[in-house]
Amino acid sequence: MKIRILLIALLITLIVTGCSDNSSEVIVYTSVDQVFSEPVLKEFEKETGITVKAVYDTEETKSTGVLNRLIAEKDNPQCDVFWSGDPLRTVLLKNKGITTPYESPAARDIAPVFKDHGYHWTGFSARARVLIYNKDLLSQSDVPGSVFDLTEEKYRGNVAIANPLFGTTTFHIAALFTVSGDARAKQFLDDLKSNNVVIATSNGDVKKRVVQGEVACGLTDTDDAFEAIKEGANIGFVFLDQKGIGNLIMPNTVCLIKDAPHSGNGKKLMDYLLSKQTEARLAESCAQMPLHKGVEVPENIPSLDSIVPMNIDYDKTALKLEAIQNYLKEWAEDQ
Amino acid sequence: MGRGSIGYRIYTITYLSYALLIVLPIAWTLLSVFFTEGSLNDNLGFLDKKILLLLGKSALLAFLVALFSTLLGTMTGFLLNKTNVVFRGFFKVSLLIPLFISPYILSVAWKDFFFLVFGNSGFISSFFGVGLVLTTIYTPLSMIITGSALSNINKQLEESGFMITNFRRVSLKITLPLIKPALISSFVLIFIFSISEFSVPAFFGVKVFTTEIFTQFSAFYNHSMAILQSSLLILICILLLFTEGKYLAEAPFLSVGSKGTSNKTYNIKNGFSLLFLSGWLSISVALPFITLFIQSFKGGTDKIIQAVGLLKPTFANSIGLAFTGALIITFIGFVAAYGTRTKKGTSFDWLLLVVFAIPSTIFGISLIKFYNHPFLDVIYSGYAIILIGYAGKFSFIAARLIGNAMKQLPDSLGEAAQIEGISEINRLRKITIPLIIPSLFAAFIISFIFSLGELGTTIMVYPPGTEIMPIKVFTIMANAPQSLTSSMTLIVFSVTLLIIIGFYFLAKPLVKDHNSYVQN
Amino acid sequence: MLHKLTLAIEANKLTCLLGSSGCGKTTILRLIAGLEVPQRGQIEIANKIVSENGKILVPPHLRNTGFIFQDLALWPHFTVYKNIAFGLSERGEEKVKETVFDMLDFFGLQEQAEKYPHQLSGGQKQLVAIARSLVLKPEILLMDEPLANLDVKLKHKILEHIKNLNKNFDLTLVYVTHDHKEAFAIADKIVVLSEGKIEKTGTVEQIKKSENAYVSYFLEY
Repeated sequence: MKIRILLIALLITLIVTGCSDNSSEVIVYTSVDQVFSEPVLKEFEKETGITVKAVYDTEETKSTGVLNRLIAEKDNPQCDVFWSGDPLRTVLLKNKGITTPYESPAARDIAPVFKDHGYHWTGFSARARVLIYNKDLLSQSDVPGSVFDLTEEKYRGNVAIANPLFGTTTFHIAALFTVSGDARAKQFLDDLKSNNVVIATSNGDVKKRVVQGEVACGLTDTDDAFEAIKEGANIGFVFLDQKGIGNLIMPNTVCLIKDAPHSGNGKKLMDYLLSKQTEARLAESCAQMPLHKGVEVPENIPSLDSIVPMNIDYDKTALKLEAIQNYLKEWAEDQ
Repeated sequence: MGRGSIGYRIYTITYLSYALLIVLPIAWTLLSVFFTEGSLNDNLGFLDKKILLLLGKSALLAFLVALFSTLLGTMTGFLLNKTNVVFRGFFKVSLLIPLFISPYILSVAWKDFFFLVFGNSGFISSFFGVGLVLTTIYTPLSMIITGSALSNINKQLEESGFMITNFRRVSLKITLPLIKPALISSFVLIFIFSISEFSVPAFFGVKVFTTEIFTQFSAFYNHSMAILQSSLLILICILLLFTEGKYLAEAPFLSVGSKGTSNKTYNIKNGFSLLFLSGWLSISVALPFITLFIQSFKGGTDKIIQAVGLLKPTFANSIGLAFTGALIITFIGFVAAYGTRTKKGTSFDWLLLVVFAIPSTIFGISLIKFYNHPFLDVIYSGYAIILIGYAGKFSFIAARLIGNAMKQLPDSLGEAAQIEGISEINRLRKITIPLIIPSLFAAFIISFIFSLGELGTTIMVYPPGTEIMPIKVFTIMANAPQSLTSSMTLIVFSVTLLIIIGFYFLAKPLVKDHNSYVQN
Repeated sequence: MLHKLTLAIEANKLTCLLGSSGCGKTTILRLIAGLEVPQRGQIEIANKIVSENGKILVPPHLRNTGFIFQDLALWPHFTVYKNIAFGLSERGEEKVKETVFDMLDFFGLQEQAEKYPHQLSGGQKQLVAIARSLVLKPEILLMDEPLANLDVKLKHKILEHIKNLNKNFDLTLVYVTHDHKEAFAIADKIVVLSEGKIEKTGTVEQIKKSENAYVSYFLEY
């Protein structure tokens, strides 16, 4: 008898948690680190009264998360908005027919290069690739000016790069291929290998190794660099190739999922994310550079105007990525 | 038992529920990949030399880990269950600790330890390092399995050996052979766990078969290829379990005496035993823990406080889900073990095994593809989907543990009751279950620990907006200082430990009863 | 619990410890074997102190005793042959095969050599258990209710075997039972126990004629 009651109670609990009133909610999947994305989403919730239900992501090398989930849910989407830390993954979704166009009024003054031509995705709050270096191991004068300098003898065994199959590193390498051409890029990678480059598991791992002094420098993103400085590490960072091909800029992107269950609320969330207010917030929390003009940022945050950007087409880069993936896999795995 | 009996009905319902809710989604996904996405011939084309070599490497790693874990686990299980070495209670709990901590985090702790002490982590970032870390993680599992079997041996079998020869020879020639089923179960389980593990090899940069599958998912988003490759893994696991089952079925030594199963413990010289136990405790627990502590408290107590704040909202959900999951898992394990025992066939065992052998991500994707339909929303959008995930992943282990305990019960006990006209369900309730309480409890605890820490499948299916402990640890970890990550790990560990201790005290009266009526 | 008990067992005789369940007879057997240790007092075998005041001075396998357990405790993972041969090979004896087969012949178990215990009948198991102990030529054979699970005919047959054991094998036998008929059939000396104390010691005739209240009461049933 007791068992029966218990079972019925269990069943009711399960049903109740399964059905909920979803008229005033929005579901967002994000690959942006929870520590940064969550406060923004909570702010949106407070301001609009719309409940935000989020699915956050882990670093790619620890588990397969958000993107695979979106792909698997394609036939019956549960998600309304996908907020990505870079455009490549969003382009991938677009190519799989998972996104739908939405031209947000909030993004009108964002430069067209940071938007999809068909408005399948819109960019905001950019990070940049940087070279971080341990000030105890590398003096200012020895810091390389170009990414291609990393193949020099003096940096042998002292450079870390995250696995190029994952994350923003993929983006970076694909961009190098697009801008410098296949031959040059392949040569660069081969030279890095011969120079005993250390392949870390993630950008966070690169940051850790540089901070610990295991290597003198490494390629990572601006938010990792700023985190390290915030933690009190004695590191510096530079934007590379300011006199050459330029430094890769990676905007956050947001897109609306096709056949989303709450597309109305999804659009509202997108408008919010694409606002100057959000950019100001992200500039402060994780040193991301606003794409809107005239957004107030803390002093230590570089402005896009002061960086020579790499001139790339994101769609082309995404295609290039697919083309070189197997090559990158070989490169990463050959010891 | 009669087809109309309650026992049979429960068995059938549980079996069908498991088959429909858990196995069917997987079968659907596998079959659709093999047959609808490209021809079978094309699909089998992925079996090239490179893949097979990689699979061989993974199998070798898993073999070594299973071997050493079983060896160490049996030694510790023996010392803690069959001798009166001091501080037994302390060792029994503390040596379980690696099970409570995510393998990934242990890997980080080990790497940092090597870096702290030797200034260089090259040694640990290797095939050997992966093997070492995995062995420290899975030895406690072996300890539980073999320890439980050792404490169930009829002491008279050992005593008749003592009339002839000394303790060492009796242990080698009589005690250990009598727990062969447990030794084999331990080896096979750990082999499967090890060969399916990817976060540890990925972290140390060691390429194995599972990192290959993972790359297909996370870099290429090529679900089909990942699933195809996984089918090889599943095949190996099935072959292994098939061989094990056949061997055990033909073994003549599974009967035990009718006088019950009181356990005999021996006086031994404490010196070597203490040294061994302390040594292993230092390596498997103290080393990583000290590293975690140093990392957490580097800058004071801020990070620990922050970690508590971050994880607090997850406690109720996670503990509730893990608890419910463990109940369901123990129930399924019991029904399956009972079904095999009473010769209803071993097909339930096979189902549990196949699901167990599936990599977490594929299981997650199968669940999404199957349940993500509007009319199944009630399951997909709620906690039910998570519980289905837990039940799929861990029921096999529970069935093994409980099955081993049931094998050691003399048939005559149940038969005596049967002759007296006691119904099957009452025989179960009043005879079988009370006699296997320690194993039921062990199965529950293990299921709880594993469910509480499950990441791979949960992250694919958890309802948006739900706060679940292991997921939160890993999502925060994506961009958190090491001290915060270590602090969160310590919190997770403390919570798990506290709950285990709580369960232990709750269950103690039950276990005590059990011990009192198997003494003779 | 045994109470301040003093017992002397005569060599080369069959002594029966007789009493109802829980009277301590099995405990005495286990003390002699070295499977239990007396909290106070000592155990002597052939004028050598083997256990004393909580300490086992000579371990079971060095006391030259054999023990037949109530449920026989045949090792389920060994064949009949291996069950009997195990002790011999552990002691490094030569001609193990010959010795084992001689013993199997003696008990008429040649055909069962390669079978496992669970494949034997009750009587066969009994004989294997006895053979296993005897093959090591113990000086003392301890038997704990060995016939408890057998039918009357088989009991008689095996009692005959046992009766002749101390003559054929130069043994001291200590036989525990609650069945006075068994004791009367084979014992040279009977010790009647009750609640950890010795009620009466004597030959079969002496016990039959005893006026001890407990003994009379016990023999009535």
